[in-house]
Amino acid sequence: MAGASVKVAVRVRPFNSREIGRNAKCVIQMQGNTTCISNPKQPKDGAKNFTFDYSYWSHTTPDDPGFTSQTQVYKDIGEEMLLHAFEGYNVCIFAYGQTGAGKSYTMMGKQEPGQEGIIPQLCEDLFQRTGENTDPDLTYSVEVSYMEIYCERVRDLLNPKSQGTLRVREHPILGPYVEDLSKLAVTGFTDIRDLMDAGNKARTVAATNMNETSSRSHAVFTIVFTQKRRDQMTSLDTEKVSKISLVDLAGSERADSSGAKGMRLKEGANINKSLTTLGKVISALAEMQSSKKRKSDFIPYRDSVLTWLLKENLGGNSRTAMIAALSPADINYEETLSTLRYADRAKQIRCNAVINEDPNAKLIRELKAEVERLRNLLFSQGLQELLDNAVNNNNNINNGPGGVAGASPSPLQLALTSNGITPENGPAPPGAEPVSEGDTPADPDQLIEDGEEREEGESTENISKEEAAERLMETEKIIAELNETWEEKLRKTESIRLERESLLVEMGVSIKEDGGTLGVFSPKGTPHLVNLNEDPLMSECLLYYIKEGVTRVGQQDVDIKLSGQFIKEIHCVFVSETNEQGEAARKSVSGGHSGAVSRSRDLR
Amino acid sequence: MAATNEWRAICDKFTNAQNLTEIESRNDPENDPFRSKYKARELLREIYCEEEGAGLRAAKLGAVEYYLGVNHVDTEELPAGQEHLMNCMKLLERCRVSSLNVSLFIHVRNQLGILWAGRDETETAQGFLETAESIYQRYMKEDGSPPTDMTEYFAAEESLLTHQERIKRFELAYTHTMYYLAQVYKNLGQTERAATYCHTTLQRQLQLNQFTPMEWALNAATLSQYYITKGRYMEGRHCLSAATVISDLAGEVPSEAAAQENEAESERREHLRQKRAEIARCWIKYCLNLLQDAKKQLEDNIGELDTDRQEELKRARRREEEEEEKGRKSALLFGSEDTFDSIASIEEKVMCLFPLDFTEARSVFLVGQNHVTQAKDYFQMDGYVTDHIEILQDHSALFRSLAFFEEDLERRCKMHKRRVDMLEPICNDLNAQYYLMIRRQLMFELAETYNEMMDLKLALANRQADTQSLDNHTIKKFNHLCSASAKYFQMFLDSLCSPEGKFPERLEEEVLRPALVARFRVARLHSRFISTSPTVQLDNLNKSLENYKYVVQYCEANPEAGATVETELELSKEMAGLLPLKINRLKARMASNN
Repeated sequence: MAGASVKVAVRVRPFNSREIGRNAKCVIQMQGNTTCISNPKQPKDGAKNFTFDYSYWSHTTPDDPGFTSQTQVYKDIGEEMLLHAFEGYNVCIFAYGQTGAGKSYTMMGKQEPGQEGIIPQLCEDLFQRTGENTDPDLTYSVEVSYMEIYCERVRDLLNPKSQGTLRVREHPILGPYVEDLSKLAVTGFTDIRDLMDAGNKARTVAATNMNETSSRSHAVFTIVFTQKRRDQMTSLDTEKVSKISLVDLAGSERADSSGAKGMRLKEGANINKSLTTLGKVISALAEMQSSKKRKSDFIPYRDSVLTWLLKENLGGNSRTAMIAALSPADINYEETLSTLRYADRAKQIRCNAVINEDPNAKLIRELKAEVERLRNLLFSQGLQELLDNAVNNNNNINNGPGGVAGASPSPLQLALTSNGITPENGPAPPGAEPVSEGDTPADPDQLIEDGEEREEGESTENISKEEAAERLMETEKIIAELNETWEEKLRKTESIRLERESLLVEMGVSIKEDGGTLGVFSPKGTPHLVNLNEDPLMSECLLYYIKEGVTRVGQQDVDIKLSGQFIKEIHCVFVSETNEQGEAARKSVSGGHSGAVSRSRDLR
Repeated sequence: MAATNEWRAICDKFTNAQNLTEIESRNDPENDPFRSKYKARELLREIYCEEEGAGLRAAKLGAVEYYLGVNHVDTEELPAGQEHLMNCMKLLERCRVSSLNVSLFIHVRNQLGILWAGRDETETAQGFLETAESIYQRYMKEDGSPPTDMTEYFAAEESLLTHQERIKRFELAYTHTMYYLAQVYKNLGQTERAATYCHTTLQRQLQLNQFTPMEWALNAATLSQYYITKGRYMEGRHCLSAATVISDLAGEVPSEAAAQENEAESERREHLRQKRAEIARCWIKYCLNLLQDAKKQLEDNIGELDTDRQEELKRARRREEEEEEKGRKSALLFGSEDTFDSIASIEEKVMCLFPLDFTEARSVFLVGQNHVTQAKDYFQMDGYVTDHIEILQDHSALFRSLAFFEEDLERRCKMHKRRVDMLEPICNDLNAQYYLMIRRQLMFELAETYNEMMDLKLALANRQADTQSLDNHTIKKFNHLCSASAKYFQMFLDSLCSPEGKFPERLEEEVLRPALVARFRVARLHSRFISTSPTVQLDNLNKSLENYKYVVQYCEANPEAGATVETELELSKEMAGLLPLKINRLKARMASNN
C-alpha cells in the first residue's frame, strides 16, 4: 500500500504586531476544509476557494469554537504519521509558506505547555510509546540527522567537521541517502531538541557568514527509527527501519531561486530573460508534450536535490503530508495566494511510476474463443442440469436448450482441448529432465551473440583499479555503519557534540554550563549580544557574552569571531566595567557598525 | 572645446551608469540590493542631448529612456519602467528604421515583451515581440548593414565598435526575441510554434558561435524528446546528431588519474560523463519510440506482424524517401561550416523512417543498445538506482520491440529471455521500502514476459509437432513459464497488501486497472496449466474461478471500476459462469473413476 498522494493542510495564524499596527484586514476565511481568500483590491469578485484535507483556523484565540490548537494539528497530521512510522513506512512532513507566516510555530512551536509544534509533540509521543514497551524481545533505537539544501548543495548541520557539500546517492538496499551525513544516536526528546537547536545554530552561522537567507534554503531533519525484534526460537533479529523526514521548505517569496522550482509547481507567464534558462524552457515544452502520453521520453533536466528526495518519498512505501502556513493580512495577499496555489498543486503530486501493461489483445481473443468453445460444448450436449447449477452461481449465462447430463467426455480432454493441445500420455522418455529456459543451447544467431558479448563485457565491467577501490571503500563504509553498535553510535554522537561546542566556543558563542546550547537563555545581569534574523527560527539563536574588561569582535584574534563580507578584521571593541553598585556598565564601543549582525542587549 | 568637454562628460556618465548596472550591482548587499542601480539611474537622468539631426537625437533620447526603463523594471518599479519604455517607443515612432536605430527598435520591444508577459498579458507581449521579429526581417532584407549599437550613441569616436562586434550584438538581441517568442507561444499553449522558436534560438546560438557546448548539446537533445513524442523523427534525429557532435566540442573527459589529482578536473570529469550519458539516454528513447511506433503501424488486431500492411508500407517507402529528402532541405538545420558534415554523418548511421522488417529494426535496435551501454556506464546501479533501472527497462523494451519483427519463434523467445535475465535479479534484490513503485513495474513486466514466452513455446511446439501431442519436456517447460508468470502477477498483487498482509478493500486509482488485470491474468494462467492429474486440474480450475470471481465481485461492489476493465470484466463474468460447469464435470468424472 503506497499512499502516492500527498495529504495537504493549510493553517492561518493571528495578526502579528506589525499587521495590527498597520490596521491589517483579514483576507482569509475558512469553512470546513475549504479556504477562501479574497482580493483586497477587488473585494467584490476575486474571492478564490481552495479545498484541502484540512483547513486550520488559528487566526483567533482558543475561545473561538472554530479555533485549531497545536494539539489538534498534531493529532490530525503528526500522530497519523507517527503511527505509519511504527508500521514501518517512511513518512515525511513538509512545511511551506513565506517567512513569518507561522511555519516555525506550526512545526516547532514554543516551549510552553500546549504551545509545542508538531515536531516536539511527535518526538515526545515517539519516546513515550517506545518507553511503554514491555516486550523484552522488542527494542527501539532512534538516530537523527539534520541537513540543509542551499543552491542544490547539501550541508551537514550536525557535524562541524563536515565541510563542503555532500553527495546524494542511491543504493538498491539502503535507498536514497546522503553520503557521509552524520547520523547521531539519541535517547530522548531532549537530545533531539538539543541537536535541532545545534543544527539551527550551524545554519544561522553559515547563513550569516555567507550572506545567505534561510528563506532560500531547505532544511531536512530526519529521525531514523529502528524497531528490532529478536526471535527467541531462532535468535535472529529482524529490523524494521523507518525514516521520519521533517522538511522546512524555502519561503515561497523566493521559491524560484531556491530550488522549490524543482517541484515544478511554480506557474505564471513570466518570461525568462537570460538564454541560460533555455534548457528549462525546452524541458518544460517536452514535458508538456509527454504528460499526455505515457512516459516515453527522457528529459535530462536534473531535478533539484529536494525533488529527488521527495520523489523517493513518493516512489516507495511512504506517507507524505504538507502544511502550508498562511498569513491572514491583506498586505500579504499576493504571497498568500501563491502559497495556496502551491499547496493546491501539491495535492496533485503523484509518483509518476505507472504500470505500463502490454496490450493483451491476443489473450482476449484466445479467451473469447475458449468461452465460445465451452458454450458450444455445453449447448450441443445439453447439460441442463449443470447449467442450472451454473445459473445459481451466476445468472449471466443465457439459458441453453434443455437436456440431461449424459456421459461426459473425458474432462481431461476438455481441459486440454481448450488449449488446443493434448499431452503425450506415455511415460516420460528417458533423459527428458526439465530443462530451464536458460539452458537452451545457444544458436549461432549473430544478433543475440552480439548482445551477449556486449552484456558480458559490461558485467565484468572494465573498471579501473582506482574505481574499484573507491567502490569498495563506499561499500565498506556502508557495512561499517551497519555494524556499528548502539554504544559506538552514542560515543560518536558525544564526540561530535564536543567538536560542535568547541567550534562555537571558539567563535565566542556562549554555551550553558551543562553544555546545552538550547534556545536563548537570556542571562540576567550579564551583558551579551544576540543575532537577529528575519526568520524567527534563526533569530536570537547565537549568544555572545560581553565579559568584564575588553571584548573584541572581528575576523581574527578576537574574543567574538564573526566572518562575513562586511566584517572587518577588528570590527569593534566592547569594554565592560562594573561600577560600585555591582552593575555592569558599558564603557565604550568602538569600531564599525555591528548593528546589522547583532543587537546588543541588556547593556545599561 | 566646451562642447567637446560637455560631450565627454555625458559619455563618462553613460559609461559609469553601464558599469554600475552591469558590474557593480552584482556586489550590492542583500539589504540594499539596488544600490548601484539607483546610482546608475541618477546618472542616466543627467544625460541630455541637444544638437545634431532630429533622427539621431530621437534615437539618443530614446536610448536614454530605454535604459531608464530597464533600470526601473530591474528595480521592481514596473509602471515607471513601462512609462520610460513607452517614451522610447514614442520617440522612435517618428523615425524610419535605419542602421542607426534598428537595434533600439528591437531592444525596446524585447523589454516590453518581458514586462507584459510578467503581468500575464501574454497577447500584448506577443504583439511587441512579433513586431520586433518583422522589423528585424525587413531590415535584413532591405538594408542589412551592421547597425549601430545603442552604447555607441554615447561613446567617443575612438571607442566605436567594429562591424563584427556590431553584428554580434545586434544578432544576439534578435536571438533573444526568438527566445522570448518561444516562451510566449509556450504560455499560449502553441507548443508546435514554441518548439520551432526554441529550435531557431539554438540554431542561431550555433551559427553566431554564442553557446557553451555541453549546455547547447543537452538542450538540443532535450528538444529531440519533444519531436519524438510528436512522431517527428527526422527533426528528432537531427537534434540528437547535433547534440552528439557539439558535446564533443566540450573536450575530452579527463582521465581518472587526472581527476584524482585535482578537484576541478574531477568535477569536470563528473560533469562531462553525466551529460554525455544523458544525451545517450535521449538517443535510447529515439530508437525505442521509432521501433514502437513502427510496430504500431505494422501490427494486426492481436499484435502480430501484418504482412499485407508490411508490403503496403514498403511500397509507400519510395515516396517517403523522396519526402525525407525534400523535408531535409526545407528543415531548419543546425550547423556551422565545420560541424555540418559531422552532423550529417551521424544522421546517416540511423534511419528516421519507420523500420519495416527485421533487418531495419535490428539496425535501430543496435544503435539503441549501444547507447544503453554508454548510459549504464555512468548511471550505475550503485549510486543511481532509479536511473539505472530506467535504462534497463528501456533496454528490455528495445528487445520487446525487436522481437515483434523477428519471425523465428525460437529466437523471439530468446529475446524475451534476455529481458527476464536483466530484470529478474533486480526485481528481487531491490528494497521495497524505497523502490516499491519500481518493483511493481518490474513484477508486472516480468509476469507479462513469462506469459509471452509461454505462448511462444506452445506455438513453437504446435508448429513442430505433426501430431496434437506434446512431449513431457515441453509440458514441463510450459508449466514452468506459466507458473513463473502467475508468480509475478501474484507478487504484484501482494505488494498492494497492508503490512498485516491484508488485500485492500478499495484499490487506489493508479493501481486499479493493473490490479484487476493481474487478477484476470492469474485466472487465465491457472486454467492453462497442463496436467494429467484430475486433482491438480481441479485445484487449478478452482484457483482460476476464484480470480475471475474476484474481478466480477470487485466491479459489482465498486461499479466505477468496471469502466477501466470493460473487456476483462465481460470475459470474467462469462468464465465465472462457465467454469463451474467444467469443474462439475471434472468432479463427476473423478467420482465415476473412483
